[in-house]
Amino acid sequence: MELFLQLGYGMMDLSYELIKSWGGGTVILSPRDLKPNQIPKLSAKLLEVNGRVLIDPQFYLPRADHSRLISHDYWPKEYDTQGFSNADRDEMLSKLSRLNGENGALALIVPGERAIEINDLWFNSQDELLQAARRNTGLPLISTICLSSEVMRSSEQINLIVEHAENQQTAGYYLVLQHPGNEHFVDDPQWLANSLDLTAGLRKIGSQVIIGCANQQQLSMACATTTAIASGNWGNVRSFFPGKFQQTYKDVVKRKAVWYYCPQVFSEYKLPFLDIGVRLGVGDLLFSSPTEYSRPIIEAPQPSASGWSFPSSFRHYLEALREQVNSSIKPSFKETIAYHRELIDNAEAVLQELRSKGVKGQNREFTNVIDASRAALLVLEDIHGPILQRRWTELIGI
Amino acid sequence: MTWHGNIPWGKKVSLDLSWLASQFPQLTDIEILGEGGQKLAYSCIHKSYGKCALKIIKPGEERMLDRELEAVRRVGGYGYVPKIYEVGILNSQLGKSIWILEEYIDGKVLSEILKNTLLGKEAELRLASDLLHSATEAEKRKIVHRDIKPDNIKIDHNGKAWLLDYGIARILDMESKTKSDAVVGPHSPGYSAPEQFRYKKRAIDGRSDLFAIGVTLYEAAIGINPFLVDAQSRLEVLHRVENMRLPPLTLKWDPDRLFAGFVSTLIQKHPTQRPRTCSDAQAWLNEIIDKLGG
Repeated sequence: MELFLQLGYGMMDLSYELIKSWGGGTVILSPRDLKPNQIPKLSAKLLEVNGRVLIDPQFYLPRADHSRLISHDYWPKEYDTQGFSNADRDEMLSKLSRLNGENGALALIVPGERAIEINDLWFNSQDELLQAARRNTGLPLISTICLSSEVMRSSEQINLIVEHAENQQTAGYYLVLQHPGNEHFVDDPQWLANSLDLTAGLRKIGSQVIIGCANQQQLSMACATTTAIASGNWGNVRSFFPGKFQQTYKDVVKRKAVWYYCPQVFSEYKLPFLDIGVRLGVGDLLFSSPTEYSRPIIEAPQPSASGWSFPSSFRHYLEALREQVNSSIKPSFKETIAYHRELIDNAEAVLQELRSKGVKGQNREFTNVIDASRAALLVLEDIHGPILQRRWTELIGI
Repeated sequence: MTWHGNIPWGKKVSLDLSWLASQFPQLTDIEILGEGGQKLAYSCIHKSYGKCALKIIKPGEERMLDRELEAVRRVGGYGYVPKIYEVGILNSQLGKSIWILEEYIDGKVLSEILKNTLLGKEAELRLASDLLHSATEAEKRKIVHRDIKPDNIKIDHNGKAWLLDYGIARILDMESKTKSDAVVGPHSPGYSAPEQFRYKKRAIDGRSDLFAIGVTLYEAAIGINPFLVDAQSRLEVLHRVENMRLPPLTLKWDPDRLFAGFVSTLIQKHPTQRPRTCSDAQAWLNEIIDKLGG
């Protein structure tokens, strides 16, 4: 499994720096967060440092009105559910094809509308967009599957998607899955199990699977042989938040908190809680996996007084997450799932210790989703375990 | 029993054996094998074919017969399926009936065997292998048997498992015989996959047979079909098939649960969660047999 960068607001320099320091990697560009003239500039810079580019058309909500998003040439000038014809789709895909081609994209992410229910209408919409893509580009196609949290609770609907995908023949799927209540973490075991089931199902038919808008909770997607998870700077690119595609949403940076990511507990903490941790002698637990970006905070006598802020916080998060992603796959399914269980067990024990010292991560602490994460792995093992064990080497190799 | 949707359970009827002998002078030693809902079955001797099975389809029950004949014609000689020698029409006291003369498989029906014993390692693996061989051959010819269960499997004296009764087989490249607005598709409760009795036509393929093979193997290993045990109604059975998770088999000869994992995968509720094809399942089973030294 690979970590892709999911471009968020104000992430141009950050993505370039990280890709450069990593010696390569893939960035999913976000038209919502880039002006039309910024896409070619950033793409060119990324390609120069051995980066790869994908462009997410973000057509999840065709009636989105975010001014930057709809300012892009490919966005339909008028969207009418009755009138979005083949010609309109062809125009959109032809422009997207040109945009992807001009920016050296690895593949074309085919737009896909968010599904509130999986039914023939949604399949039809997906198929028509895919067919338009086939007519208008020679690039490999990655089909967007954007699902509401309601769909994600239904095993029946998830399997209908896999069944449909068996006849689609695309290079891959870009999954954008809405969390229940738009929370940062998912505490619904059914949702988590279905995300694993969906991914494993799509991987078994030979498709690449990229999980968009992911965070550290999606590390266990490695057990389903996920190709890549994509994450970024702000919370709204670490989980899918449809509201940000509306004009009323503001990217206010000033009042946003700085979080520190502690990889071994999959949790993030605001700096004052790190101060408490250091004072009460659990700093070694909080800082057990340093990155070059977290040094200032570790070396400061009082973390909150270190001047550590957003750029470092994001870099540390993405660097640490990348290290976790890089070690998330083991030689067999059994070893991989055992490894992820061990990580969860360890996180649980350390979190207890941290909490006993008053160190709490609020809504970015993993404690409340531990049981759900464990349960989801059990379901994956029960449904797909034997097949994944048998086909592991083949699946992680493609 | 097999549920055919709009066909009622058959009434017991029979034919006089001496009258039957007069109608089939080429046959001798005619004996009753069974008189089921749809057909009457007899064993007999044919001067050229040797021991045969004569089946007489009850009038009104021949709706699916052309599909059965087509299915057997396509699969016969490839899978472990009895050959059909002759087909004809007979005017009997039942009315105008179609008869089929087919290869007689000398052996025991699996459901009878399972009344007295469980299958051990060798027999279980052989059963799995033979059923998957037949299902794979059927799949190649676009046929879904749709009625694999212990009642329709005969084990011959060499231990080979024969798959009988293609009466509700679906031929994927021919138009369905079942009404397109049917809510319930032809099935055998407790063995048929959810997509089959729910009649999700587009989802029915060889993987539906894999489900039935999985349940059959499960039953052969532990002696009971948990979907059927103590069920009070057909609907309860169907509810169990859709909602009850069968715990993985625990077999002494399968300490690493290779075979158990395989069977669990066959009986997953959604076809997308099972092996993609019968031939993939067969290849997987062969790997397991190699490892278990079967």
